[in-house]
Amino acid sequence: MYRVTFIDADGQATELTAQQGQSVMSVAVANGIDQILAECGGSCACGTCHCYIDDSWTERLPAPDDSEQGMIECLMNPTERSRLTCQLKMSEALDGLVVHLPREQY
Amino acid sequence: MTATPKASEHGTAFEPLSATFAQNPYPAYAALRDKGEPQFFADFDMWLVTRFDDVAGIARDNAMVRSPEFFMSEEEITEQKRLQNWLDMPHHQRFVQFSMLDSDGPVHDRLRKQVFREFTPAFIARQRTMIQSFVDRLVDSLIDKGEIDFVEELASQVPGHIIGRVLGVPDEDCPQLRVWSERVVQFFDIDRSDERKALAEQATTEFYHYLLKLMAERRAAPQEDLITRLMAAQDAGQLNEDELVSTCMLILMAGHGSTIDVLGSGMHAMLRFPDQMARLKADPGLIHTAIQEMFRFESPLPFFHRYATADCVVGGKSFPRGTKFGLLYGAANRDPAAFGDDADVFDAGRNPNRHLAFGGGAHFCLGNHLARLDMEVIFTTLLKRLSSVSLVDAEPQYKRGLSVRGPKALRLAFTPA
Ligand code: FES
Repeated sequence: MYRVTFIDADGQATELTAQQGQSVMSVAVANGIDQILAECGGSCACGTCHCYIDDSWTERLPAPDDSEQGMIECLMNPTERSRLTCQLKMSEALDGLVVHLPREQY
Repeated sequence: MTATPKASEHGTAFEPLSATFAQNPYPAYAALRDKGEPQFFADFDMWLVTRFDDVAGIARDNAMVRSPEFFMSEEEITEQKRLQNWLDMPHHQRFVQFSMLDSDGPVHDRLRKQVFREFTPAFIARQRTMIQSFVDRLVDSLIDKGEIDFVEELASQVPGHIIGRVLGVPDEDCPQLRVWSERVVQFFDIDRSDERKALAEQATTEFYHYLLKLMAERRAAPQEDLITRLMAAQDAGQLNEDELVSTCMLILMAGHGSTIDVLGSGMHAMLRFPDQMARLKADPGLIHTAIQEMFRFESPLPFFHRYATADCVVGGKSFPRGTKFGLLYGAANRDPAAFGDDADVFDAGRNPNRHLAFGGGAHFCLGNHLARLDMEVIFTTLLKRLSSVSLVDAEPQYKRGLSVRGPKALRLAFTPA
């Protein structure tokens, strides 16, 4: 079991637990984090599972692959901390991850 | 030969070509859902999947594909096509039967990547002013009429023009493109008669020649539009000319059809649930959830297929590799297990609303943001500019068939605000 924390646009934090290999998106969807729409269900095809990685974590994540990067560039308000939660898989290395949610996905 | 299936021969109550089904498919969907497991439907030679979890699971599974080529030989595919009356229509086979929609894996991903940018939230948001001024002009021209066919005079006039502008088609050509699109798409539906086949092939041929001419114009004078950018991608070796033509046709056809249908059924839903229309009028901030609910409540493309590339279990039942599944999005989107006991109620504020009207997985509807923005602008404008709206025919007729859902016409009486 790993921990992941979602902080919404108003600063409200929710800490949840995740299984090895579970995507951050599916943790959110399974636990009522409604700001993660995840409309395509995790295929890197919709861009509605956008989050901003907390400053303390940006250095510690593996870089996005080409398809994730291509999608991020086309989102509303992307920054260098933007990631797609469906592409982030929980593991030992990500235990304690903190992500911030945009107010709206599109 | 024709391959028109007859539903009743097989002793099933599921009759998706009937007028009863067209008017209200939801009792039939509920009956299928209540059976639990997928149900075999001999007319289409496929297993119908109706429960939300099962439909979502298949749509999002990369081992479920659109094209049968992963497990059928070329001869078997040709035989299938012959049975479905899909042969001897060279342009249709070349540009319509092959498309991004019916490809999978790396080919699909490569084609999708070429057009993706024009359909993303950031790009679409920049089209808002253009869409608003287009809709304003249209509403100006209709506002004093007092009564219109909402489908023909309003809904049908917007999405095709907007997608045309994104692609680079001049406004004055849009009515012709709509005729071609409808003729091509109609052949996808269940009536694969020779007569429809001839129309579809002729429309595809004319459409092809039109696009060749447009491409030649862009070659001489490049513009800031999608077709110019696709031609640059072709020059860079990212797609060939047939793929380019096929992709343009797919985009134009997708842009003409389903948004018009859901505009019509969405307006109809609000008239059937007037408290929800009043709620949206009082609180325009609900427009996003209201539009999501329109897609859930009357999913405009309620049926897609997938083939299993591996043995699988769906709804507790085992199926072998090669099984063809019919995903009934319209049924899944009314599943009480996913949407609660009020799944058959139109709720303009429903949130979350994780419906499947745009499909799921790698084929997730590319045009979803554009469709939603078209709808947002149209409904927001109408709610502002009309003081009352009512139905002229209490029971508008819906299109027949399983693969589309939308009213054929929707006569409205209204008074300007
Ligand atoms: S869920 Fe669609 S891109 Fe992440």
